[in-house]
Amino acid sequence: MYDSIILRNVSRLMFPILLLLSLFMLVRGHNLPGGGFIGGLVAASAFILQIIAAGPTYVRTSFQINFLNLAAFGVIFAALWGLPGLVTGEAYMLAFWLKEPIPGIGKLGTPVLFDIGVYLTVIGVTTQLALVLAEEPTLYPIQRPPARPNATAPEV
Amino acid sequence: MLVLIVLTALIMAPLGLFARYEPRPVIGWVLALAPLALFVVISALAPEVLAGGRLEQVIPWVPRMGLELRFALDGLSMLFALLVSGIGTLVVLYTAYYLAGDPGMGRFYLTLFIFMGAMLGLVLADNVLTMFMFWELTSVSSYLLVGYKHDYPSARRGAQMGLLITVGGGLALLVGLVLLGNVAGSYTISEILAAGEQIKASPFYTPAMLLIFLGCFTKSAQFPFHFWLPNAMQAPTPASAYLHSATMVKAGIYLLARLHPTLSDTPLWLYTLTGVGMTTMLIGAVVANRRDDIKGLLAYSTISKLGTMVLLAGMGGPEAPAALVATILAHALYKGALFMLAGAVDHEADTRSLAQLGGLRRAMPWTAALSILSSLSMAGVPILFGFVAKEEQLYAAVDNGLPPGLDIVVLVAVVTSAVFGVLYSWRLVSGVFFGPRGSGMKEHVHEAPAGMLIGPALLTTFSVVLPLGLLPATATLLQPAVNAISNEGAKISLYLFPSEIGLPLILSMTALLIGAVLTRFEPQIVAAPSPLPPWLNGDRIYDAAVDGVLRGATAFTRTLQNGRLRSYMTWSVLSLVAVVAPPLLFFGFNGLALPTLDGVEPFEFVSMLLIPIGVIATLQARTRLGAIIAASFVGLMVAYIFVIYSAPDLALTQLLVEILTTVFLVLLFAVMPASFEPLTAPAERSRDGLIAVIGGLVFAGIAFAASSSTELSPISQAFRAESQSQGFGDNVVNVILVDFRGFDTMGEIVVLFIALMGIYAMLRLRPGAGLARDDAETPAQPASPEAPAPQGNGQPGRPTPKEQEAPVAGKGR
Repeated sequence: MYDSIILRNVSRLMFPILLLLSLFMLVRGHNLPGGGFIGGLVAASAFILQIIAAGPTYVRTSFQINFLNLAAFGVIFAALWGLPGLVTGEAYMLAFWLKEPIPGIGKLGTPVLFDIGVYLTVIGVTTQLALVLAEEPTLYPIQRPPARPNATAPEV
Repeated sequence: MLVLIVLTALIMAPLGLFARYEPRPVIGWVLALAPLALFVVISALAPEVLAGGRLEQVIPWVPRMGLELRFALDGLSMLFALLVSGIGTLVVLYTAYYLAGDPGMGRFYLTLFIFMGAMLGLVLADNVLTMFMFWELTSVSSYLLVGYKHDYPSARRGAQMGLLITVGGGLALLVGLVLLGNVAGSYTISEILAAGEQIKASPFYTPAMLLIFLGCFTKSAQFPFHFWLPNAMQAPTPASAYLHSATMVKAGIYLLARLHPTLSDTPLWLYTLTGVGMTTMLIGAVVANRRDDIKGLLAYSTISKLGTMVLLAGMGGPEAPAALVATILAHALYKGALFMLAGAVDHEADTRSLAQLGGLRRAMPWTAALSILSSLSMAGVPILFGFVAKEEQLYAAVDNGLPPGLDIVVLVAVVTSAVFGVLYSWRLVSGVFFGPRGSGMKEHVHEAPAGMLIGPALLTTFSVVLPLGLLPATATLLQPAVNAISNEGAKISLYLFPSEIGLPLILSMTALLIGAVLTRFEPQIVAAPSPLPPWLNGDRIYDAAVDGVLRGATAFTRTLQNGRLRSYMTWSVLSLVAVVAPPLLFFGFNGLALPTLDGVEPFEFVSMLLIPIGVIATLQARTRLGAIIAASFVGLMVAYIFVIYSAPDLALTQLLVEILTTVFLVLLFAVMPASFEPLTAPAERSRDGLIAVIGGLVFAGIAFAASSSTELSPISQAFRAESQSQGFGDNVVNVILVDFRGFDTMGEIVVLFIALMGIYAMLRLRPGAGLARDDAETPAQPASPEAPAPQGNGQPGRPTPKEQEAPVAGKGR
């Protein structure tokens, strides 16, 4: 979108770092500032940086992610982890935790998985929004081939 | 058991879809086994009910709201359940032949079975809320059945009309039932009835009853809502016979009968039902004689009989309950048969117009014979069951519970409707089966297939055989239903001829005689002017109302949603202020002290001061980019304030949201002219500024009131205390988000997703623009000619490596 070789190269370097940062934010969220929403925004900004630096088509072709589906999946994934409560006859979204913490990740429970759903939804929604805007033809007109002159033009 | 009865029909519904395959008659026969089985099961339960018993079944649903699936079978329920399943069997069978060759038959069966389950649920429910749910389900399935031939505008209109009127009445009914339940302290019908005296003494009795009446009158096509029923005749005839004559339209009667034992017996009940029922009865009887369409004629005669039933439910008197039950049975028998026979005539002769039909008795002898017998029953000619029921009506009318003066009026009305009943019965038979051969019929008219005659034949047989010796048995069967309606222990005793010649018999014979004489003047009566003034045309009023609502909605939408962002903002802010400001002003500031600047560090003070400066800079900016930067500055300062007051989560979120908002704004604004153009007059801008200031003040007030309230202890302490022990997390904010208030977060991400869908639909799916880009969603073909690579801002940007690789076939075309 913005033709700058510096931006393009820097953003390519930044991308994995930003994604890692977002995962870091997601994982540490339960005990320190962070969480699914913040992590999701960081990851989305990583993608949006790519959109601005290299264009939406680049993002679509190199990542092969349908962000609309990702957002929908996130919502369903989050909703899914409320179900164990219903199955056991308790309230929807009652939390369940593993007894022992998993090394390197910490305690694992349904709220953490729910948070992952939030994370995916935020990534999907925000990035898809940026894509929709960046691809909007009234804002960024498509270079259409010139119409073939008088192919089937009605005679007036 | 009772739940299974309801569920069986509903579960059968998808199986109805098999009817799209051949051989259809066989499938129809197989499908008819289901309602037949229900009929047998309900009959098997009958001995217990006849012995005075009452079957109950309760399944808790939402216990905290008092919602439960509570079913009960008593005499009244049993009568209706037997009618629903019995006539249902015949209708399912009839449909297999009537709709043979119609591609939508599977869909028809699907809806028919849903209706059957709903209607059974309605009459078996012992909880008003359960009953209401099924009540609405019958309206919806009626909508689908009337609109079955959805290619025809008239069918769509009839379906929509029936739906709007019955569901509109249903809303009133719901409010009425909730009022009733609240007064009685229970939503169980039997407990509501037990609390009858208490309800009648309550000030809510009148509003509750009026709302319930509204529901019943709309459902049972009472004047002035009757006009939807003739329009519902757009439904295929099996649906008309089943829903719009034998069962669904009697739901209102059922509910009135259900509430009759303890809630009647007041002037409100007496006069409302008597007045409305009598009016409907007379209008239906008169208008039926002006109809040329045989289904229209039958529809108005149904309206007339429904009016009679409401009158019987309302007017009181010792004989009324028995007459009501007898009328329900008689009507279901002859009207169900006549509708099916009218369908057979339509099916074979290809017209329903009396003017175009005629002389069919030779071509369709069986149809003619059955129609004549059922019509005689409808006319109330002796030795048929319709006559027995009419005798009962006249007994009830002679001995009604109305004050002197009015009782005579009712009696005259009943006799008058009987006279007109004779007339329209005669018109139906003579117009279709006698006289010269009709002009508008098919060339060669044949007898209807046997499958279409089984149902009417059975029903007609009942009309004929019941009075011939089976009357005591019938009375025994109907007695429990009478018990359920009557509070005075009324007895039903059916006679073919009374032991002595009394007033009812004389009146009955007089009605027959006058009716027979009137048949000589049929053309004059048909051509007589309408009894209703032209402005009282329900159809026209309905159209005007629907039109008015649509026009009003359009005007409202044009005002509120005029496509200008600033007016959206204005309305949103104003409505928020209107809702939030009054409680804030009245209750929000009680006992709050003005904030002081004690303990505020100088650097904090300066950072806060920078926010208004940023706001002013935003307003003063001349270029779009400048305004974006100034607005971002405000956001960043807010984030900074969060940092100062140690809210790292908020600060992080605010920071990220601020960055992304700026990116989105730049994406949008980059292609717009660099500087602002004034589009509004200075006065408008001052007004908008004022609205903005008021909105800001209200929200500042909320923030202030919420943070300085001393009356309530903040919930944050409880959350902080339980975060580690209950939520296993040190970050309270996140534990609240994903655990304590996880359901809120769930709602928020759903809202987020819905917002995305809205934006996506608006930008991508609008007509014209962006449609060409839909397949850009599949990244596999990025360089297809329909989705060329977008170029930034019209400037030919350098193609990315991927684009260079991809074949640029589109460019060459």
